[in-house]
Amino acid sequence: MSALDVGAFSAREKGVAGLLGGVGVLLLIGVVSGALAPAYLLYLVSLSAMYMLLSMGLNVQWGYGGLINFSVAAFFGLGAYGSALLTANSSPIAGNVSPVIALFGGLLLAAVLAVLIGYPTLKLRDDYLAIASLGLAEVVRIFILNENQWTAGSAGLTGIPLFFADWPVLGDLSYPYVFTVGGTAVFYMRQPVINGLLNLVLVAAFVVGVYLFLRRIHRSPWGRVLRTIKTDEDLAETLGKNTFAFKMQAFVIGSLIMALAGVFYTHLVLYVSPPDLQPITTFYVWVAVILGGTGSDRGAMLGGFTIVAIQQGTRFLNDAVQLPIGPAPLRLMLVGLLIILIVRLRPEGILPPERELIWPDAMRGERDE
Amino acid sequence: MAQILQYLANGLVYSSIIILGSIGLSLVYSIADFANFAHGDTMTVGAYGSFVAFGLLGGMGGSLLGLPLGFYVSLLVGMALAAAIAVLTHLAVYEPLDTDSIGLLITSIGVAFVYRASLMGIFGTDFLQYDITRSGPIPFLLDTVGVAITQRDVAIVVSAAVLVGALHFLLQRTTLGRKMRATADNPDLARVSGIRTDRVILVMWVIGSALAAAGGVFLALYSQLDPRIGFGILLVVFAAVIVGGIGSVYGAMLGGLLIGMIHELTPLLGDIGIPIGTAYAPAIAFVIMVAVLLVKPRGIAGDLT
Repeated sequence: MSALDVGAFSAREKGVAGLLGGVGVLLLIGVVSGALAPAYLLYLVSLSAMYMLLSMGLNVQWGYGGLINFSVAAFFGLGAYGSALLTANSSPIAGNVSPVIALFGGLLLAAVLAVLIGYPTLKLRDDYLAIASLGLAEVVRIFILNENQWTAGSAGLTGIPLFFADWPVLGDLSYPYVFTVGGTAVFYMRQPVINGLLNLVLVAAFVVGVYLFLRRIHRSPWGRVLRTIKTDEDLAETLGKNTFAFKMQAFVIGSLIMALAGVFYTHLVLYVSPPDLQPITTFYVWVAVILGGTGSDRGAMLGGFTIVAIQQGTRFLNDAVQLPIGPAPLRLMLVGLLIILIVRLRPEGILPPERELIWPDAMRGERDE
Repeated sequence: MAQILQYLANGLVYSSIIILGSIGLSLVYSIADFANFAHGDTMTVGAYGSFVAFGLLGGMGGSLLGLPLGFYVSLLVGMALAAAIAVLTHLAVYEPLDTDSIGLLITSIGVAFVYRASLMGIFGTDFLQYDITRSGPIPFLLDTVGVAITQRDVAIVVSAAVLVGALHFLLQRTTLGRKMRATADNPDLARVSGIRTDRVILVMWVIGSALAAAGGVFLALYSQLDPRIGFGILLVVFAAVIVGGIGSVYGAMLGGLLIGMIHELTPLLGDIGIPIGTAYAPAIAFVIMVAVLLVKPRGIAGDLT
């Protein structure tokens, strides 16, 4: 992404960018014409960015390391529950902790679970890992659903503050916020819009931070070893690499990114409940990753937008026309068909990794010749 | 003591259902060589097929073990439907794919979602029950050993035993069975020996899905029917297959018996004072599976075929 000149992008990338741009223009027209609430648009974009985070997390595990992790929902859910249990005023255990501190609580919880799940399963064959991780994710969901005294059970957690609630300045804006120029009000923003903007800034910071971090580690010797493990684990072991340690590190890093998405989700939706941990969440993220292109972080962006389009689009479609099938089965059907079609037609995804694997210097050298 | 016998009796019923599911899953694993995540939803498809057939046939004819004969006919209808859909899926989805077993695994999740979404679209998500009056426990058993077993439970166990027995006969005594075992053991060797392995794979889909459908029908009969039952039980079925040893039909039976028993013996933990509720029954089955994988990756019967 470092190259800003359009000439460096492939035709497919331009096509995808054009499509996303077109959707963006449509959404903006919707806002200007009043059909779409600005706060809702901000919510949609934030949600896409959250799925992007989840996809990038899975990319570290599946894309870089070839680990089939079907417990995305568990790590996402632990991040969400970790921060919700610490910050919510309805929390049965702690409550009213600052969201910034709770962020680390959520991440810590996910890291512990990642080691606990990873230790027994990462030694297993690929397909066993898939089954075991899906099962252990269900164990986490059953636990949260049943241990009312710690997690509030099926009722879920409410009374969660916004992420910036206790920050100086950002926490105590007055609403509606009026911009004045020379004493006359020129522009004002209602509370939902300001909250939406703050959320978007937060998730954008997460995404950019994670993206830069991943790009760095992916191009490092660590990333190269991980790619070797994905291609040929025996070879990596022959070269003297402790493949289990590398896989564990990738598993924990990916899980932490998923938990980060969960923490953001908590403060975006302000409500978490056990259905958030259902396996469908895991497979939304899988669709995003394999659609975008396994191992490609630009692909993760496309995948994130697609998932939100499926989730929210089916809801609108259901309001607009009488469908023979409800929105929930329709979403399931779309996700299922997408999986089948991608593996059949484009197993490498729409934006497979290209430049991700090459140092920018090497690219520049090529063009100079 | 009577309480433990009661749990064991429940375990036998539940094991029958798990065994029917795990045989098919194990067959697909050994012959088509991938973990089929759509297997649970194949069970659901069969259950709905039989449910609809039973609605049409109703209480046809007399009754056997407290269930009208129409039920047994509808069971066969459900099995045939699931087999047909599985064969269609194999021909339309899996066979044209140029991918490895991981690609097939991921595809099977898509297939599972399509099955389930279709069922939700057609039947909704409400719980359904077979229109068969539930009779109480068999008085004789209740009086003599103090165990409550209904005729329905007996019907499930007997039907499962008949189906499993038929499969055993097929595998051991017929040419088709020998071809299937040969293909599972070494597909390349089977092919050069003149076995049409593509046909064997089709037969495997038919048998595996029909048995899965029977498991789904009994699961719906045992509790209730909704589009999630199959996926809900899938992980327990996987646990049975892995504990038994992937690719071994007899291992899958043994694993199914073991996991089904453990699943239904979970209340015992509460009885002796360990605070683990019955909600954790699938979780316990699962943890046992992971433990078996670590200690004996080929399963407890991994070397039998």
